[in-house]
Amino acid sequence: MSVKYIPVQWNPNKWYYDAALLAGVVLFLWVFIYLTPGALGHDRPINPQIHNARAFGACAFLMLTVILCIGPLARLDRRFLPLLYNRRHFGVLTCAVALTHAFYVLNWYFAFSATDKYAAVLEANTSYGQLAGFPFESLGIFALLCLLILAATSHDFWLKFLTPPVWKSLHYLIYPAYAAIVGHVALGALQDQQNLTFAWIVCVGAGLVAGLHVAAALKEQLAGDYEGGGGDWIDICATSAMTEGYAKIAQLPDGDRVAVYLNEGRLSALSNACAHQNGPLGEGKIINCLVTCPWHGFQYNVTNGRAPAPFTEKVPTYRVRVENGTVMVHRQANPPGTYVEPVPLPSAEGAV
Amino acid sequence: MTGGEFIVRLAQIWLTAGAVTGALFLTIGMDRIDEDARGAYVFRPLLVPAVLLIWPLVLWRWFVLETGRDNWAARHRPPRKQHLVVAIVLAGLILISLTAGLMVRQSWPGDVAPEQLTRAVGEGQ
Repeated sequence: MSVKYIPVQWNPNKWYYDAALLAGVVLFLWVFIYLTPGALGHDRPINPQIHNARAFGACAFLMLTVILCIGPLARLDRRFLPLLYNRRHFGVLTCAVALTHAFYVLNWYFAFSATDKYAAVLEANTSYGQLAGFPFESLGIFALLCLLILAATSHDFWLKFLTPPVWKSLHYLIYPAYAAIVGHVALGALQDQQNLTFAWIVCVGAGLVAGLHVAAALKEQLAGDYEGGGGDWIDICATSAMTEGYAKIAQLPDGDRVAVYLNEGRLSALSNACAHQNGPLGEGKIINCLVTCPWHGFQYNVTNGRAPAPFTEKVPTYRVRVENGTVMVHRQANPPGTYVEPVPLPSAEGAV
Repeated sequence: MTGGEFIVRLAQIWLTAGAVTGALFLTIGMDRIDEDARGAYVFRPLLVPAVLLIWPLVLWRWFVLETGRDNWAARHRPPRKQHLVVAIVLAGLILISLTAGLMVRQSWPGDVAPEQLTRAVGEGQ
Protein backbone atom coordinates (compact mmCIF):
# COMPACT_ATOMS: atom_id res chain seq x y z
CA MET A 1 0.00 0.00 0.00
CA SER A 2 1.45 3.39 -0.90
CA VAL A 3 0.67 7.07 -1.16
CA LYS A 4 2.28 8.82 -4.11
CA TYR A 5 4.24 5.58 -4.60
CA ILE A 6 5.97 5.91 -1.23
CA PRO A 7 5.37 2.82 0.93
CA VAL A 8 3.49 3.84 4.05
CA GLN A 9 2.28 0.54 5.40
CA TRP A 10 5.23 -1.84 5.48
CA ASN A 11 3.92 -3.52 8.59
CA PRO A 12 5.51 -6.39 10.61
CA ASN A 13 3.36 -8.99 8.80
CA LYS A 14 5.03 -8.13 5.51
CA TRP A 15 8.48 -8.43 7.07
CA TYR A 16 7.56 -11.83 8.58
CA TYR A 17 6.13 -13.00 5.24
CA ASP A 18 9.27 -12.02 3.33
CA ALA A 19 11.58 -13.43 6.02
CA ALA A 20 9.72 -16.76 5.93
CA LEU A 21 9.99 -16.78 2.12
CA LEU A 22 13.73 -16.19 2.11
CA ALA A 23 14.31 -18.72 4.90
CA GLY A 24 12.23 -21.29 2.99
CA VAL A 25 14.24 -20.80 -0.22
CA VAL A 26 17.59 -21.03 1.59
CA LEU A 27 16.45 -24.14 3.48
CA PHE A 28 15.21 -25.83 0.30
CA LEU A 29 18.46 -25.15 -1.57
CA TRP A 30 20.54 -26.33 1.37
CA VAL A 31 18.55 -29.57 1.71
CA PHE A 32 18.62 -30.18 -2.06
CA ILE A 33 22.32 -29.51 -2.49
CA TYR A 34 23.81 -30.93 0.69
CA LEU A 35 21.41 -33.38 2.32
CA THR A 36 19.51 -35.33 -0.31
CA PRO A 37 21.49 -35.79 -3.52
CA GLY A 38 20.90 -39.56 -3.38
CA ALA A 39 17.17 -39.33 -2.70
CA LEU A 40 16.64 -37.02 -5.65
CA GLY A 41 18.31 -39.22 -8.20
CA HIS A 42 21.72 -37.62 -8.34
CA ASP A 43 23.29 -41.04 -8.21
CA ARG A 44 25.52 -40.29 -11.15
CA PRO A 45 28.37 -37.86 -10.53
CA ILE A 46 27.55 -34.33 -11.65
CA ASN A 47 29.50 -31.13 -11.26
CA PRO A 48 28.46 -28.29 -8.90
CA GLN A 49 27.21 -26.15 -11.80
CA ILE A 50 24.63 -28.76 -12.85
CA HIS A 51 23.77 -29.55 -9.24
CA ASN A 52 23.05 -25.87 -8.58
CA ALA A 53 21.01 -25.59 -11.78
CA ARG A 54 18.85 -28.51 -10.66
CA ALA A 55 18.49 -27.12 -7.15
CA PHE A 56 17.30 -23.70 -8.35
CA GLY A 57 15.07 -25.28 -11.02
CA ALA A 58 13.41 -27.58 -8.49
CA CYS A 59 13.04 -24.67 -6.06
CA ALA A 60 11.37 -22.49 -8.72
CA PHE A 61 8.95 -25.30 -9.62
CA LEU A 62 8.01 -25.84 -5.98
CA MET A 63 7.59 -22.09 -5.33
CA LEU A 64 5.37 -21.64 -8.36
CA THR A 65 3.33 -24.66 -7.32
CA VAL A 66 2.77 -23.14 -3.87
CA ILE A 67 1.94 -19.73 -5.35
CA LEU A 68 -0.66 -21.25 -7.64
CA CYS A 69 -2.22 -23.21 -4.77
CA ILE A 70 -2.71 -20.08 -2.64
CA GLY A 71 -5.37 -18.48 -4.88
CA PRO A 72 -7.81 -21.42 -5.09
CA LEU A 73 -7.16 -22.35 -1.43
CA ALA A 74 -8.19 -18.85 -0.37
CA ARG A 75 -11.33 -19.12 -2.50
CA LEU A 76 -12.16 -22.50 -0.98
CA ASP A 77 -11.37 -21.58 2.62
CA ARG A 78 -11.00 -18.02 3.98
CA ARG A 79 -8.37 -19.16 6.52
CA PHE A 80 -5.83 -19.17 3.67
CA LEU A 81 -6.46 -15.48 2.85
CA PRO A 82 -3.40 -14.24 4.83
CA LEU A 83 -1.19 -16.13 2.37
CA LEU A 84 -2.49 -13.89 -0.42
CA TYR A 85 -1.31 -10.80 1.41
CA ASN A 86 2.22 -10.56 0.02
CA ARG A 87 1.99 -13.06 -2.82
CA ARG A 88 3.56 -10.64 -5.29
CA HIS A 89 6.83 -10.74 -3.31
CA PHE A 90 6.62 -14.53 -3.52
CA GLY A 91 6.26 -14.23 -7.31
CA VAL A 92 9.20 -11.85 -7.71
CA LEU A 93 11.43 -14.13 -5.64
CA THR A 94 10.32 -17.12 -7.73
CA CYS A 95 11.30 -15.25 -10.90
CA ALA A 96 14.75 -14.53 -9.41
CA VAL A 97 15.20 -18.22 -8.53
CA ALA A 98 14.07 -19.32 -12.02
CA LEU A 99 16.43 -16.80 -13.61
CA THR A 100 19.32 -18.18 -11.54
CA HIS A 101 18.43 -21.68 -12.79
CA ALA A 102 18.45 -20.43 -16.38
CA PHE A 103 21.84 -18.75 -16.02
CA TYR A 104 23.42 -21.83 -14.46
CA VAL A 105 22.17 -23.88 -17.44
CA LEU A 106 23.17 -21.27 -19.99
CA ASN A 107 26.62 -20.72 -18.53
CA TRP A 108 27.42 -24.40 -18.38
CA TYR A 109 25.82 -26.19 -21.31
CA PHE A 110 26.14 -23.30 -23.78
CA ALA A 111 29.11 -21.35 -22.47
CA PHE A 112 31.55 -22.99 -24.87
CA SER A 113 29.30 -22.88 -27.93
CA ALA A 114 30.83 -21.71 -31.20
CA THR A 115 27.91 -19.30 -31.63
CA ASP A 116 26.36 -16.77 -29.26
CA LYS A 117 25.09 -18.73 -26.23
CA TYR A 118 21.62 -17.16 -26.42
CA ALA A 119 21.31 -18.21 -30.06
CA ALA A 120 22.82 -21.61 -29.26
CA VAL A 121 20.14 -22.44 -26.68
CA LEU A 122 17.50 -21.81 -29.36
CA GLU A 123 19.25 -23.93 -31.97
CA ALA A 124 20.73 -26.80 -29.97
CA ASN A 125 17.65 -28.94 -30.42
CA THR A 126 14.95 -28.22 -33.00
CA SER A 127 13.19 -31.59 -33.00
CA TYR A 128 9.75 -30.06 -32.45
CA GLY A 129 8.08 -32.86 -34.40
CA GLN A 130 8.78 -35.60 -31.87
CA LEU A 131 7.80 -36.13 -28.26
CA ALA A 132 10.83 -38.12 -27.17
CA GLY A 133 13.72 -35.68 -27.26
CA PHE A 134 11.37 -32.67 -27.62
CA PRO A 135 13.28 -29.38 -27.14
CA PHE A 136 11.97 -28.81 -23.63
CA GLU A 137 14.28 -25.81 -23.27
CA SER A 138 11.86 -23.73 -25.36
CA LEU A 139 9.06 -24.41 -22.85
CA GLY A 140 11.33 -23.19 -20.07
CA ILE A 141 12.28 -20.06 -22.03
CA PHE A 142 8.59 -19.26 -22.64
CA ALA A 143 7.77 -19.74 -18.94
CA LEU A 144 10.74 -17.60 -17.88
CA LEU A 145 9.61 -14.82 -20.21
CA CYS A 146 6.14 -14.94 -18.64
CA LEU A 147 7.61 -14.86 -15.12
CA LEU A 148 9.78 -11.87 -16.07
CA ILE A 149 6.73 -9.95 -17.35
CA LEU A 150 4.78 -10.77 -14.18
CA ALA A 151 7.63 -9.83 -11.85
CA ALA A 152 8.43 -6.65 -13.77
CA THR A 153 4.80 -5.48 -13.65
CA SER A 154 4.28 -6.31 -9.97
CA HIS A 155 4.65 -2.71 -8.72
CA ASP A 156 1.40 -0.98 -7.73
CA PHE A 157 2.04 1.66 -10.39
CA TRP A 158 1.25 -0.93 -13.09
CA LEU A 159 -2.05 -1.80 -11.44
CA LYS A 160 -3.13 1.81 -11.52
CA PHE A 161 -1.68 2.61 -14.95
CA LEU A 162 -2.89 -0.50 -16.80
CA THR A 163 -6.13 -0.73 -14.73
CA PRO A 164 -6.81 -3.79 -12.54
CA PRO A 165 -8.72 -5.77 -15.24
CA VAL A 166 -5.91 -5.36 -17.81
CA TRP A 167 -3.30 -6.09 -15.14
CA LYS A 168 -5.19 -9.20 -14.03
CA SER A 169 -5.55 -10.37 -17.64
CA LEU A 170 -1.81 -9.87 -18.17
CA HIS A 171 -1.12 -11.84 -15.00
CA TYR A 172 -3.22 -14.72 -16.34
CA LEU A 173 0.10 -15.48 -18.10
CA ILE A 174 0.95 -17.40 -14.93
CA TYR A 175 -1.29 -20.24 -16.14
CA PRO A 176 0.35 -20.91 -19.54
CA ALA A 177 3.68 -20.35 -17.78
CA TYR A 178 2.94 -23.07 -15.24
CA ALA A 179 1.65 -25.47 -17.91
CA ALA A 180 4.88 -24.83 -19.87
CA ILE A 181 6.97 -25.46 -16.76
CA VAL A 182 5.23 -28.78 -16.15
CA GLY A 183 5.99 -29.69 -19.78
CA HIS A 184 9.56 -28.42 -19.36
CA VAL A 185 10.06 -30.67 -16.32
CA ALA A 186 8.13 -33.68 -17.70
CA LEU A 187 10.01 -33.72 -21.00
CA GLY A 188 13.29 -32.64 -19.43
CA ALA A 189 14.34 -33.52 -15.90
CA LEU A 190 11.87 -36.41 -15.53
CA GLN A 191 13.38 -38.16 -18.56
CA ASP A 192 16.78 -38.33 -16.89
CA GLN A 193 15.83 -39.35 -13.38
CA GLN A 194 16.19 -42.99 -12.42
CA ASN A 195 14.85 -42.26 -8.96
CA LEU A 196 11.05 -42.00 -8.59
CA THR A 197 11.06 -39.42 -5.75
CA PHE A 198 11.33 -36.43 -8.06
CA ALA A 199 8.67 -37.82 -10.43
CA TRP A 200 6.25 -38.21 -7.53
CA ILE A 201 6.93 -34.68 -6.24
CA VAL A 202 6.24 -33.22 -9.70
CA CYS A 203 3.08 -35.26 -10.30
CA VAL A 204 1.59 -34.56 -6.86
CA GLY A 205 2.46 -30.84 -7.01
CA ALA A 206 1.07 -30.29 -10.51
CA GLY A 207 -1.96 -32.45 -9.74
CA LEU A 208 -2.67 -30.36 -6.65
CA VAL A 209 -2.57 -27.15 -8.69
CA ALA A 210 -4.92 -28.60 -11.31
CA GLY A 211 -7.34 -30.10 -8.76
CA LEU A 212 -7.53 -27.02 -6.54
CA HIS A 213 -8.18 -24.71 -9.50
CA VAL A 214 -10.99 -26.85 -10.83
CA ALA A 215 -12.50 -27.26 -7.34
CA ALA A 216 -12.39 -23.51 -6.60
CA ALA A 217 -13.83 -22.58 -10.01
CA LEU A 218 -16.64 -25.12 -9.64
CA LYS A 219 -17.43 -23.86 -6.14
CA GLU A 220 -17.62 -20.30 -7.45
CA GLN A 221 -19.75 -21.42 -10.39
CA LEU A 222 -22.18 -23.39 -8.24
CA ALA A 223 -22.48 -20.73 -5.52
CA GLY A 224 -22.75 -17.85 -8.02
CA ASP A 225 -23.86 -14.38 -7.02
CA TYR A 226 -27.52 -13.55 -7.12
CA GLU A 227 -28.33 -11.98 -10.49
CA GLY A 228 -30.76 -9.11 -10.08
CA GLY A 229 -33.15 -8.31 -12.92
CA GLY A 230 -35.85 -5.77 -13.73
CA GLY A 231 -35.70 -2.13 -14.83
CA ASP A 232 -33.37 0.58 -13.60
CA TRP A 233 -33.80 -0.51 -9.97
CA ILE A 234 -32.48 -4.00 -9.38
CA ASP A 235 -33.75 -6.30 -6.61
CA ILE A 236 -30.90 -7.43 -4.36
CA CYS A 237 -32.49 -9.30 -1.43
CA ALA A 238 -35.15 -9.11 1.25
CA THR A 239 -34.43 -6.62 4.03
CA SER A 240 -34.50 -9.51 6.51
CA ALA A 241 -31.52 -11.10 4.73
CA MET A 242 -29.19 -8.22 5.60
CA THR A 243 -26.70 -8.69 8.45
CA GLU A 244 -25.23 -5.78 10.40
CA GLY A 245 -21.59 -5.11 9.42
CA TYR A 246 -21.68 -7.30 6.30
CA ALA A 247 -22.75 -7.11 2.66
CA LYS A 248 -24.94 -8.92 0.18
CA ILE A 249 -23.29 -9.28 -3.24
CA ALA A 250 -25.34 -9.30 -6.44
CA GLN A 251 -24.57 -9.26 -10.14
CA LEU A 252 -26.14 -6.44 -12.15
CA PRO A 253 -27.49 -6.94 -15.70
CA ASP A 254 -24.30 -5.42 -17.22
CA GLY A 255 -22.14 -7.98 -15.37
CA ASP A 256 -20.80 -5.61 -12.70
CA ARG A 257 -21.07 -6.80 -9.11
CA VAL A 258 -22.45 -4.63 -6.37
CA ALA A 259 -22.02 -5.06 -2.61
CA VAL A 260 -24.85 -3.69 -0.43
CA TYR A 261 -23.79 -3.12 3.19
CA LEU A 262 -25.76 -2.74 6.37
CA ASN A 263 -23.87 -0.36 8.62
CA GLU A 264 -25.43 0.85 11.89
CA GLY A 265 -28.88 0.05 10.56
CA ARG A 266 -28.43 1.91 7.27
CA LEU A 267 -27.82 0.64 3.76
CA SER A 268 -25.00 1.69 1.43
CA ALA A 269 -23.77 0.15 -1.82
CA LEU A 270 -20.33 0.01 -3.41
CA SER A 271 -18.81 -1.73 -6.40
CA ASN A 272 -17.72 -5.19 -5.31
CA ALA A 273 -14.33 -4.69 -7.03
CA CYS A 274 -11.57 -3.13 -4.92
CA ALA A 275 -9.71 -0.32 -6.72
CA HIS A 276 -6.39 -2.05 -5.99
CA GLN A 277 -6.64 -5.54 -7.52
CA ASN A 278 -10.43 -5.86 -7.94
CA GLY A 279 -10.60 -8.03 -4.81
CA PRO A 280 -14.10 -8.98 -3.53
CA LEU A 281 -14.91 -5.98 -1.32
CA GLY A 282 -18.29 -7.40 -0.39
CA GLU A 283 -16.59 -10.24 1.49
CA GLY A 284 -15.01 -7.75 3.89
CA LYS A 285 -16.41 -6.69 7.26
CA ILE A 286 -17.27 -3.10 8.20
CA ILE A 287 -15.41 -1.56 11.12
CA ASN A 288 -15.97 2.13 11.93
CA CYS A 289 -17.81 2.71 8.64
CA LEU A 290 -14.84 1.30 6.69
CA VAL A 291 -14.99 -1.95 4.76
CA THR A 292 -11.69 -3.82 4.44
CA CYS A 293 -10.82 -5.76 1.28
CA PRO A 294 -10.04 -9.36 2.31
CA TRP A 295 -7.19 -9.61 -0.22
CA HIS A 296 -4.74 -6.86 0.73
CA GLY A 297 -6.43 -4.79 3.41
CA PHE A 298 -7.43 -1.71 1.39
CA GLN A 299 -10.25 0.16 3.16
CA TYR A 300 -13.16 2.26 1.90
CA ASN A 301 -15.85 4.36 3.54
CA VAL A 302 -19.12 2.62 2.62
CA THR A 303 -20.98 5.92 2.17
CA ASN A 304 -18.66 7.46 -0.43
CA GLY A 305 -16.33 4.67 -1.62
CA ARG A 306 -13.22 6.64 -0.63
CA ALA A 307 -10.17 5.22 1.14
CA PRO A 308 -9.35 7.09 4.38
CA ALA A 309 -6.61 9.75 4.17
CA PRO A 310 -3.77 9.71 3.26
CA PHE A 311 -4.86 7.01 0.75
CA THR A 312 -6.51 8.14 -2.46
CA GLU A 313 -8.19 5.00 -3.86
CA LYS A 314 -11.88 5.29 -4.77
CA VAL A 315 -14.57 2.86 -5.89
CA PRO A 316 -17.95 3.56 -7.55
CA THR A 317 -21.02 3.87 -5.34
CA TYR A 318 -24.65 3.00 -6.05
CA ARG A 319 -27.99 4.48 -5.03
CA VAL A 320 -30.03 2.25 -2.72
CA ARG A 321 -33.73 2.15 -1.84
CA VAL A 322 -36.09 -0.16 0.04
CA GLU A 323 -39.48 -1.04 -1.43
CA ASN A 324 -41.98 -3.62 -0.18
CA GLY A 325 -39.40 -5.23 2.07
CA THR A 326 -36.87 -5.57 -0.77
CA VAL A 327 -33.44 -3.91 -0.95
CA MET A 328 -32.92 -2.41 -4.42
CA VAL A 329 -29.95 -0.79 -6.15
CA HIS A 330 -29.95 1.53 -9.15
CA ARG A 331 -28.13 -0.20 -12.00
CA GLN A 332 -26.17 2.95 -12.93
CA ALA A 333 -22.96 3.28 -10.89
CA ASN A 334 -21.93 6.70 -9.60
CA PRO A 335 -18.40 7.88 -10.43
CA PRO A 336 -15.86 6.58 -7.88
CA GLY A 337 -15.90 8.50 -4.59
CA THR A 338 -19.47 9.90 -4.94
CA TYR A 339 -21.24 10.28 -1.59
CA VAL A 340 -24.64 8.61 -1.32
CA GLU A 341 -26.86 9.21 1.71
CA PRO A 342 -27.31 5.85 3.48
CA VAL A 343 -30.88 4.53 3.53
CA PRO A 344 -32.35 3.44 6.89
CA LEU A 345 -33.40 -0.19 6.95
CA PRO A 346 -37.06 -0.32 8.11
CA SER A 347 -36.52 -3.36 10.29
CA ALA A 348 -33.06 -2.30 11.47
CA GLU A 349 -33.73 -3.19 15.10
CA GLY A 350 -34.46 -6.78 14.11
CA ALA A 351 -31.46 -7.09 11.85
CA VAL A 352 -28.87 -5.80 14.34
CA MET B 1 22.00 -15.51 -40.06
CA THR B 2 20.66 -18.61 -38.33
CA GLY B 3 17.17 -18.91 -36.84
CA GLY B 4 18.50 -18.54 -33.31
CA GLU B 5 20.54 -15.46 -34.19
CA PHE B 6 17.48 -13.95 -35.89
CA ILE B 7 15.38 -14.38 -32.73
CA VAL B 8 18.15 -12.90 -30.57
CA ARG B 9 18.36 -9.92 -32.96
CA LEU B 10 14.59 -9.42 -32.76
CA ALA B 11 14.83 -9.48 -28.95
CA GLN B 12 17.57 -6.83 -29.06
CA ILE B 13 15.42 -4.59 -31.29
CA TRP B 14 12.43 -5.10 -28.98
CA LEU B 15 14.46 -4.15 -25.90
CA THR B 16 15.96 -1.12 -27.67
CA ALA B 17 12.47 0.13 -28.55
CA GLY B 18 11.53 -0.48 -24.92
CA ALA B 19 14.51 1.57 -23.72
CA VAL B 20 13.51 4.53 -25.94
CA THR B 21 9.88 4.26 -24.76
CA GLY B 22 11.04 4.01 -21.14
CA ALA B 23 13.28 7.08 -21.42
CA LEU B 24 10.36 9.16 -22.72
CA PHE B 25 7.66 7.72 -20.50
CA LEU B 26 9.52 7.77 -17.19
CA THR B 27 10.82 11.32 -17.64
CA ILE B 28 7.98 13.09 -19.46
CA GLY B 29 4.88 10.91 -19.89
CA MET B 30 4.40 9.69 -16.34
CA ASP B 31 4.09 13.21 -14.87
CA ARG B 32 1.49 14.09 -17.49
CA ILE B 33 -0.85 11.17 -16.86
CA ASP B 34 -0.44 10.31 -13.17
CA GLU B 35 -0.87 13.00 -10.56
CA ASP B 36 0.52 10.73 -7.82
CA ALA B 37 3.79 10.29 -9.72
CA ARG B 38 4.60 14.03 -9.76
CA GLY B 39 7.54 14.63 -7.46
CA ALA B 40 8.04 10.89 -6.86
CA TYR B 41 11.25 9.68 -8.51
CA VAL B 42 12.76 6.96 -6.32
CA PHE B 43 10.39 4.24 -7.53
CA ARG B 44 10.83 4.97 -11.26
CA PRO B 45 13.92 2.78 -11.83
CA LEU B 46 11.81 -0.15 -10.58
CA LEU B 47 9.53 0.35 -13.59
CA VAL B 48 12.28 0.10 -16.23
CA PRO B 49 12.20 -3.73 -16.66
CA ALA B 50 8.46 -3.70 -17.32
CA VAL B 51 8.68 -0.90 -19.91
CA LEU B 52 11.42 -2.85 -21.72
CA LEU B 53 9.14 -5.90 -21.91
CA ILE B 54 5.65 -4.48 -22.47
CA TRP B 55 6.37 -1.16 -24.18
CA PRO B 56 3.53 -1.48 -26.75
CA LEU B 57 1.06 -1.79 -23.86
CA VAL B 58 2.69 1.22 -22.18
CA LEU B 59 2.33 3.29 -25.35
CA TRP B 60 -1.33 2.25 -25.71
CA ARG B 61 -2.23 3.17 -22.11
CA TRP B 62 -0.26 6.42 -22.35
CA PHE B 63 -2.26 7.31 -25.48
CA VAL B 64 -5.58 6.41 -23.80
CA LEU B 65 -4.84 8.52 -20.72
CA GLU B 66 -3.37 11.45 -22.67
CA THR B 67 -6.42 11.68 -24.92
CA GLY B 68 -8.93 11.31 -22.07
CA ARG B 69 -10.34 8.06 -23.42
CA ASP B 70 -10.01 6.18 -20.13
CA ASN B 71 -13.26 4.55 -19.02
CA TRP B 72 -13.42 4.66 -15.21
CA ALA B 73 -16.17 2.02 -15.06
CA ALA B 74 -13.97 -0.53 -16.86
CA ARG B 75 -11.50 -0.39 -13.94
CA HIS B 76 -14.04 -2.15 -11.74
CA ARG B 77 -14.86 -5.09 -13.99
CA PRO B 78 -12.57 -7.96 -13.00
CA PRO B 79 -12.17 -10.79 -15.55
CA ARG B 80 -13.86 -13.32 -13.25
CA LYS B 81 -15.90 -15.13 -15.88
CA GLN B 82 -12.80 -16.88 -17.25
CA HIS B 83 -12.00 -18.67 -13.97
CA LEU B 84 -13.69 -21.97 -14.86
CA VAL B 85 -12.37 -22.05 -18.44
CA VAL B 86 -8.83 -21.23 -17.28
CA ALA B 87 -8.99 -23.90 -14.56
CA ILE B 88 -10.16 -26.61 -16.97
CA VAL B 89 -7.63 -25.69 -19.68
CA LEU B 90 -4.81 -25.55 -17.09
CA ALA B 91 -5.77 -28.93 -15.63
CA GLY B 92 -5.96 -30.43 -19.15
CA LEU B 93 -2.54 -29.08 -20.16
CA ILE B 94 -0.96 -30.34 -16.94
CA LEU B 95 -2.46 -33.79 -17.46
CA ILE B 96 -1.31 -33.93 -21.10
CA SER B 97 2.22 -32.74 -20.20
CA LEU B 98 2.68 -35.24 -17.40
CA THR B 99 1.21 -38.13 -19.39
CA ALA B 100 3.39 -37.32 -22.40
CA GLY B 101 6.48 -36.99 -20.23
CA LEU B 102 5.89 -40.28 -18.43
CA MET B 103 4.97 -42.13 -21.65
CA VAL B 104 8.25 -41.36 -23.36
CA ARG B 105 10.29 -41.84 -20.19
CA GLN B 106 12.63 -44.66 -21.08
CA SER B 107 13.36 -45.58 -17.48
CA TRP B 108 9.64 -45.88 -16.63
CA PRO B 109 8.43 -47.82 -14.70
CA GLY B 110 11.79 -49.38 -13.77
CA ASP B 111 15.29 -49.50 -15.15
CA VAL B 112 15.39 -50.47 -18.81
CA ALA B 113 18.21 -50.21 -21.31
CA PRO B 114 18.25 -46.71 -22.91
CA GLU B 115 17.38 -46.43 -26.58
CA GLN B 116 19.36 -44.10 -28.82
CA LEU B 117 16.90 -41.65 -30.39
CA THR B 118 19.07 -40.12 -33.10
CA ARG B 119 22.39 -40.96 -34.61
CA ALA B 120 25.44 -39.17 -33.26
CA VAL B 121 27.41 -36.87 -35.56
CA GLY B 122 29.80 -38.94 -37.62
CA GLU B 123 27.98 -42.19 -36.88
CA GLY B 124 27.31 -44.35 -39.95
CA GLN B 125 23.84 -44.22 -41.57
